[in-house]
Amino acid sequence: MAILEMQNISLTYQTRGGETDALKDVSLSVKSGEFIALIGPSGCGKTTVLSLVAGLIRPTAGRVTVEGKEVVGPSPRVGYMLQRDQLFEWRTIEKNVMLGLEVQKNVTRESRAYALGLVEKYGLKDFLKSLPKELSGGMRQRAALIRTLAFRPEILLLDEPFSALDYQTRLAVCDDVHGIIRAENKTALLVTHDISEAISTADRVAVLSARPARVKNIYGISLPGTPLQRRENPGFSKWFDIIWKDVSV
Amino acid sequence: MKNKEIPSPRGRYLKKLRLEKARILIARIAILAAFFGLWELLASTKVIDDFITSSPSRIIKTLGSLAGADIARHVGITVLECVCGFLIATAAGTLIAVALWRFDALRRVLEPYIVVLNALPKIALGPLIIIWVGAGYSAIITMTVLICIIVTVISVLSGFTDCDGGKILLMRSMGANRLQILTKLVLPRSVPNLISVLKINVGLSWVGVIMGEYLVSSAGLGYLIIYGGQVFKLDLVMASTAVLCCLAALMYACVALLERFFTRFY
Repeated sequence: MAILEMQNISLTYQTRGGETDALKDVSLSVKSGEFIALIGPSGCGKTTVLSLVAGLIRPTAGRVTVEGKEVVGPSPRVGYMLQRDQLFEWRTIEKNVMLGLEVQKNVTRESRAYALGLVEKYGLKDFLKSLPKELSGGMRQRAALIRTLAFRPEILLLDEPFSALDYQTRLAVCDDVHGIIRAENKTALLVTHDISEAISTADRVAVLSARPARVKNIYGISLPGTPLQRRENPGFSKWFDIIWKDVSV
Repeated sequence: MKNKEIPSPRGRYLKKLRLEKARILIARIAILAAFFGLWELLASTKVIDDFITSSPSRIIKTLGSLAGADIARHVGITVLECVCGFLIATAAGTLIAVALWRFDALRRVLEPYIVVLNALPKIALGPLIIIWVGAGYSAIITMTVLICIIVTVISVLSGFTDCDGGKILLMRSMGANRLQILTKLVLPRSVPNLISVLKINVGLSWVGVIMGEYLVSSAGLGYLIIYGGQVFKLDLVMASTAVLCCLAALMYACVALLERFFTRFY
């Protein structure tokens, strides 16, 4: 069953200079537990799609539904991970992880135990009382993911979450985050301009056209294993070639 | 002991750091000593007229003769006025900045007024202040508040508005309302900026108090300075100025201590 459904959504921005069509007739259906990557030329409105699903903006036309209910505003069913980890420097890792629950006024003994359980499960227990600046880039990203998972969203939106990291760290963190999302059995929508990242993580890759964006093609990636294993798979370069050509034209 | 004979590179490095720090401290003290020494020497050899320039020994003598209840009273009054003005201006300025941050339309409406008020020399309002709030402590505190508050509003607000867009987006995606964004993100993130505003206000509030005391007062260091000038007791002027220097440094040190406490987190 589709947990996330976008039905013919269009979005037009109004600015002083005129109207800009960001999205035109975008439809996409995401099954529960699926990992979808959105890829397309820069500035094509990939991030706009995430903002719509997160309920931060409303479409000009069409509907976004999560578990059958129309999205009308931010909700704890959807967790948003942005570029950079956006950890609050003045909060300890523990308090950073609790941020979502705090904002949603849902700090209970049970929710707290769940959040701290995630921290322990994913190896950050020793850093609970540390400040973000004391953690490495990879650890920070992991903390940011746990902060998102803490309020138990069904759907994770990832907006180029690895783009601020250097290449080495990026591969490792991508593997790490992917593994955690799989282990927690979450649905994920990843926006990226990195074709390899899309192929190595996603079950399906949706290629968006230049602005106004629409879904050009959707590719079911049939590679097994973790992102790193996928990158080593001989089939990887075939997919890269197909998608690269599709994005370029 | 073996360490002492063959210092490790680390040891040499640390020693160099310590030496450097000591040199700077010595240079600082030397400047102060040279300044006062030269002053005293020139005055005692009558190269300069110590009736007009005073001298360190005369300052100390003046302070000694003022000592006890009298100087303490003047210092106490000035410090009280300064601290009151400083606290009121900082608190009220921050509250106004919060209001302007929260209501963007209000900020846009008031912007030109704030710019004009900032440019206006507040001392020009002196006569009005005296008539409106009376000639006394309240006039001096009002003057101090007026001098500090506009700068406080402008600096605090600019700290608020340059808040990281990504973090606000994160908060909103979690469902945070404006108040939560303020208390959990914008305010705590602004702490370093707030501290730098405090530092500016330490200086400005002393300007305000002394200017206020010049205008209207019957006690306080500003009063002593004005009075000393009028009766040509320049020893008194110099002695009061010296005390003022020490007080301003002390207040700055308090803020610096606060800063040390908070910078652990940032």
